[in-house]
Amino acid sequence: MSRIGNAFSSFFGILFSGELPADVAKEYGYIKAPEVKKPEPVKPAPKMPEIKPADGALQLLGILQRDARLVDFLMEDIGAYSDDQVGAAVRTLHEQCGAALKRSFTLAPVIDGVEGTYAKSDAAGSDAKQGLKFIGNVPAEGRAPGGILRHKGWKASNVDLPKVAPSVNLSIIAPAEIEVE
Amino acid sequence: MSTGTVIGIDLGTTNCAVARSTGGPVEVLTVTQLTGPGELRDEPLFPSSFYIPGAKEFAEGTTALPWDDAPQFIAGEWAKRRGVENSSRLVHSAKSWLSHSGIDRTAPLLPLTAPEGVSRVSPLDASTAFLTHIRQSLGDAGNAQILITVPASFDAAARALTEDAARRAGITNFVLLEEPQAAFYAWLERHDDWRQRVHAGDRILVVDIGGGTTDFTLIAAAESNGELTLERIAVGEHILLGGDNIDLALARGVEQELAAKNVKLDAMQLHMLWQRCRAAKEKLLAPGAKQAEEPVTILGRGTGLVGGAVKAVLRRETLEQVLLDGFLPAVSREEQPIRPKRAALAEVGLPYASDPRITAHLARFIQQAGTPTHVLFNGGVLHSEIVRRRIVETLNSWLPQPVQVLEGEDLMHAVARGAAYYGLARQGKGIRIRGGVPRTYYIGIESSMPAVPGFPAPMKALAVVPFGLEEGSSVELPRTEFGLLTGEPAEFRFFSSVARREDKPGDVLDPIPPEVEELSPIEVTLPTAAEKVTRVTLAADVTATGVLELWCVAKDGHRWKLEFNVREQTQ
Repeated sequence: MSRIGNAFSSFFGILFSGELPADVAKEYGYIKAPEVKKPEPVKPAPKMPEIKPADGALQLLGILQRDARLVDFLMEDIGAYSDDQVGAAVRTLHEQCGAALKRSFTLAPVIDGVEGTYAKSDAAGSDAKQGLKFIGNVPAEGRAPGGILRHKGWKASNVDLPKVAPSVNLSIIAPAEIEVE
Repeated sequence: MSTGTVIGIDLGTTNCAVARSTGGPVEVLTVTQLTGPGELRDEPLFPSSFYIPGAKEFAEGTTALPWDDAPQFIAGEWAKRRGVENSSRLVHSAKSWLSHSGIDRTAPLLPLTAPEGVSRVSPLDASTAFLTHIRQSLGDAGNAQILITVPASFDAAARALTEDAARRAGITNFVLLEEPQAAFYAWLERHDDWRQRVHAGDRILVVDIGGGTTDFTLIAAAESNGELTLERIAVGEHILLGGDNIDLALARGVEQELAAKNVKLDAMQLHMLWQRCRAAKEKLLAPGAKQAEEPVTILGRGTGLVGGAVKAVLRRETLEQVLLDGFLPAVSREEQPIRPKRAALAEVGLPYASDPRITAHLARFIQQAGTPTHVLFNGGVLHSEIVRRRIVETLNSWLPQPVQVLEGEDLMHAVARGAAYYGLARQGKGIRIRGGVPRTYYIGIESSMPAVPGFPAPMKALAVVPFGLEEGSSVELPRTEFGLLTGEPAEFRFFSSVARREDKPGDVLDPIPPEVEELSPIEVTLPTAAEKVTRVTLAADVTATGVLELWCVAKDGHRWKLEFNVREQTQ
C-alpha cells in the first residue's frame, strides 16, 4: 500500500471507526495489544514514513473548493447581501457541493427509519456500538432498547478520494489565478 | 484476461466509454485518468479532450500516469477542465477533424488557435492518444478482441485513419463497428425477448444525437431459411450538430438578456453560463418537472462568490422555443436542409451543419433511405422526453403507420456496451447485423470533350464499389483498364454517395449528380519497370476489420494498393 493510501485509510479509520486500520497498524509496526505479548527482544522501532492525517482533509477541502467553491463561500462576508442574492448562489453551491460529496463518499443513514417514529436500537445493526447516541431520559446503564428516532445519522460506507501524486502540495486549496492579457 | 474476452471502445466525439464481456453479461469499465494536478481517478467516461501543456505549466510529477511518469500531453477529465481555462492548448472534437476531408489529417494543425511555439498535433495523433490511453488503462488485455466504433457516416478514408490510429496505439486484434449498429446491439443485449418485438419486414431507424454529431441509420429485419436476419440498409450523412449546439443556443439567449441589462460576462463566465444552462435545461426536462423557469446563476469570479454573482433564469417557454422551433421544428416529409453557400475563401474549421433543424436532416434521410417501422434512440440529447416525442410525432406525420419506439437504456454507454456484445456475436454467441460498406464509391474520369479555356474538363464518375460490399469480400472491375506510368504517382479523384444505393460497379454517372460528394483523392505509385506504361484494372476489398481497400491489378496478377491521400487539400 502507498504512503498516501496508508495516510487516508489511517485518517478515515480513526475518523470513522476510532482506530488505526489493522493493515496500516501492522505495516508501521503498531502491533495490537494481544500480539505485543510475544517474548521477543525489543528491536529499535523501524524508521516510519510520516503519516499525515491532514492530507485527506486538505484534499477534500481542495475538491470542495474546485468543484463547488465552498471555501470561497464560507470565507466570504455575506452580511451585506440580500437573502435573494445569497439564495441564488447557494442553489448552485448546494448542487455542486452535493455532487462532490456524493462522488467522494457513499453516504447512508445509520438507521434507515422515519424520524419522529419509534426505532429499535437493533436497527443500527453492526453500527450499534458507535453509531448510536441516546438522548433525553437515558437509563442508568447509558443504553436503551429503543426510542423515538430524532436523527437518522450518517455513515460513510465507502470513501473514494482520488489518488494523489507525492509531489502535489495539498495545502494549496486553490491556486491564485493570474490571467495573462 | 482469457481468450473470448471482448472489449468495446466507444471512441466518441466528446466522450469515450469502454465495456467488456468475458463471455457473460457486458459490464462498463472505468478509465483511469487525471482529474486534476496529480489526481488520478477511475471514471466511467473518458472525455475526448487533449491538452498540450507548456514545459513549465505544471509542477513535476503532477502529470504522471500509472504507465507514464512524464507524458507529453494530458487526456481526459483534467484536459477538459484545464482547456476551459486555457482553450488555446486544448484539442477537442478530434474525431470530427479526422473525418474532415478538406484538411490534411496527418499534419500537426491542432489546436488551430495554439500560440507560436506550441507543438501541435494532427487529428490522427489525437485519436491515437485516446486509444493509447484507453489501452494502457485496460492493463494487460491479453488477446482480447477489441471493437472500436466509428460513426456510420465515416467515409473510407476516415475509417482507414481510425484503423491507423488503433495500430499506432498498439491495438492489434481489433474490428471497426458503426456506432448506430452498436446502439442497436446494446438494445438486443438488454432485451432477451427481442425476437418477439422485431419481425421480418420491420425497418428500425436508429437516431443517434450526441454532444457534437447526429447520425441516422436504417436496419432491416428479414427472414432467411427460417431465421431472422438483420441488415443495415442505409446510413445518413455526417452531421456536425448535437447537444452542445442546443446548450450554446440557450446560453446565447441568456447572454443577450443579460447584455440588455448591461451585464457583461468574460470568457470564463460565458463557459460557466453554458454549463449552468445545460444543468437548468436538464432540470426543466427531467421527468415530472413542471416549474416555469429555472435559475441560472453565474457565481462571482475571484473569492467574492456571492457578491459578484450574476442571476438569470432559463424559462421553460424559451427552452421549448429553442428546442422545438429551432432544432426540432415540425417539417414536411419533402423538407431539405439548407445547404451552405460555398464561400470562395473558407476559413479552416470544422464543417458544422449550417442548418440546425435536426428534423430537416431526418426528412432528407427518410427520403433517401425509406420509411421505418420502429425507432431506437441513442445519445445524451435523447434523454429528454420532449425531444423524443417531437421526433416520434414528426416521423408519424410522414408515415402511413405510427412508428414503435424501442426503449433504449443507459444512452451514455450503449455504444460501448453494444460494441462488446457485437464482439460476442462475432464469436457466434448472438445475432449479427449484416452491413458492409455504407456508401457507393466512384472514381472520377475526365470526359473526353474539347477543352474550353478557363474551365476544367468535366468529370464523369465510374462506380467502383457497390453499396453493401461486405467485410471479407471483394469486387473486380475487369473492364476498367488504365494505363499507368510506372515510377510516378498516379492520382484518382474519388467520390461517394450515401443516397445512390443501386449503382453497380462499372456504371458511369455523367454528369456527376449533386448527391455524389467528392472525397480526398486516392493515389498509387507503380514501381519502375522496363515497360513505361503498365495496364491495370481496378479491384476493391473490404478487409475483415471493416476497412475498404482499392487495388490496381496488372494482367500478371500483381496488385498495388491505392492509398487515401489524406494529406493534400481537396477543393
